[in-house]
Amino acid sequence: MLYIVNFLELFTAVVALLTFWKYRSSNERYFLIFLWYTFLVEVIGALMGDVFYIDNSSVYNTFTITSMLFYFYWYHSILKKAVFKRVTIAFTIIFLLVAALNFVFENWNTYHKYSFFCGAFFILILTIFHFQQLLNSNEVLIVKYKLSFWISTALLLFYMGMIPLFFLIEYTGIRGLSYRIILISLNLMLYGCYNIGFLWTKKEYNRF
Amino acid sequence: MDQEGVQSFLIVFSIIAFCLALTVILLFAIFQKRKNKLLREQQEAENHFKEEIIETQIEIREETLRNISWELHDNIGQLLTLAKIQLNHADESPEKVQEAAETVGQCLTELRSLSKLINPDTFSNLSLVDALKLEMQRFDRMKYLSTSLDCNEETFSMDAKIELIIFRMLQEFFTNTIKHSKASQLEVRLKYDENLLQIEARDNGIGFDTSNQKYFKGIGLMNIKSRAQIIGAQVEIVSKLGEGAQLFLTYKNTPS
Repeated sequence: MLYIVNFLELFTAVVALLTFWKYRSSNERYFLIFLWYTFLVEVIGALMGDVFYIDNSSVYNTFTITSMLFYFYWYHSILKKAVFKRVTIAFTIIFLLVAALNFVFENWNTYHKYSFFCGAFFILILTIFHFQQLLNSNEVLIVKYKLSFWISTALLLFYMGMIPLFFLIEYTGIRGLSYRIILISLNLMLYGCYNIGFLWTKKEYNRF
Repeated sequence: MDQEGVQSFLIVFSIIAFCLALTVILLFAIFQKRKNKLLREQQEAENHFKEEIIETQIEIREETLRNISWELHDNIGQLLTLAKIQLNHADESPEKVQEAAETVGQCLTELRSLSKLINPDTFSNLSLVDALKLEMQRFDRMKYLSTSLDCNEETFSMDAKIELIIFRMLQEFFTNTIKHSKASQLEVRLKYDENLLQIEARDNGIGFDTSNQKYFKGIGLMNIKSRAQIIGAQVEIVSKLGEGAQLFLTYKNTPS
């Protein structure tokens, strides 16, 4: 029961693998590797935390940084307007700065909240840019068959939920089971959207 | 979980659920609206195109009727008048009967080619090149001016509606040449090259001033430009006073 999220990640990674032929020639192909990477990181994190009782925050800190960088890279390759691309690069630089500061001022073994907030907030803005791009193109008619649409939706909903969650943890002392329930629901939504995207996408709408 | 824990959990959960529900609804509404707008625009463009096709067909038919009326009057009417005169003089010179027979024979030939023009079926089954050929043969026959039509071997066929509109554009140019330019020669060149059609038409008439917008509108050349826009072709009308007029048309065919 506690490992539902790990199971979701494995399921999504497998689905991504099985439907790879559909998006092989688009920018989303790197998600296959990314999803398996996520699954592995979570397995290691779970092993460290629940089996060996080592503090696993370092793993999650690294994961936050690498996953954010991956998302920024993907958005830079997808967004077409020069303004958007420049903003993405700016976000990457700012995020790296924040992560570095976080690294200097906080112990590596506590979870770096500020890098997370910074990255999550930037991702939200990038999903909005992406949606604006999709809306103003002719693809708005078939947008539900585009994998990139579902990935952006997944990220938007997930971080829309995570930011308030992390925020409210400070102020309401919500802990343990309640936190886990909300986290699991958010992950369900995240991987739900990913899977819908992989299953519904059609090859002809995923060009480079 | 104690009372307070449950409370805080519920608060957090509801706030998050509310944020998410709001996001989803907004997303859905915005995308739906945009989709509907795009569909509506596409539908309008299609309707506009259909209207233009119908108008073009009507114009071509009107032009055909006009041409027929001219031919009947100028060509056939005159031939029959000539035959009548020749027969009137048959008493004095018996060979006039033979001449009259020849004239009537000529008249028959003209009538036959004319009846081809009237039949709407011939027209709809003609390719662009053949339709242009017929039109220019008519100019030759009526001795308006001398024409030449040049076309390369490998042609490709396009959507009948597009060919119709291109024909009408050229027909309007021809009408202008015959009515206003006082030209003696009309040359038309067609080049089919790998889904790209290039047409060049030139006359050696008195030309006109292309910068004079009012003149442009008056002689129906604006129609040519707007029609080109509808089918996505590039058209250029070049002319200088004393140097005749030229029409350059480029159309990229998208095979269906």
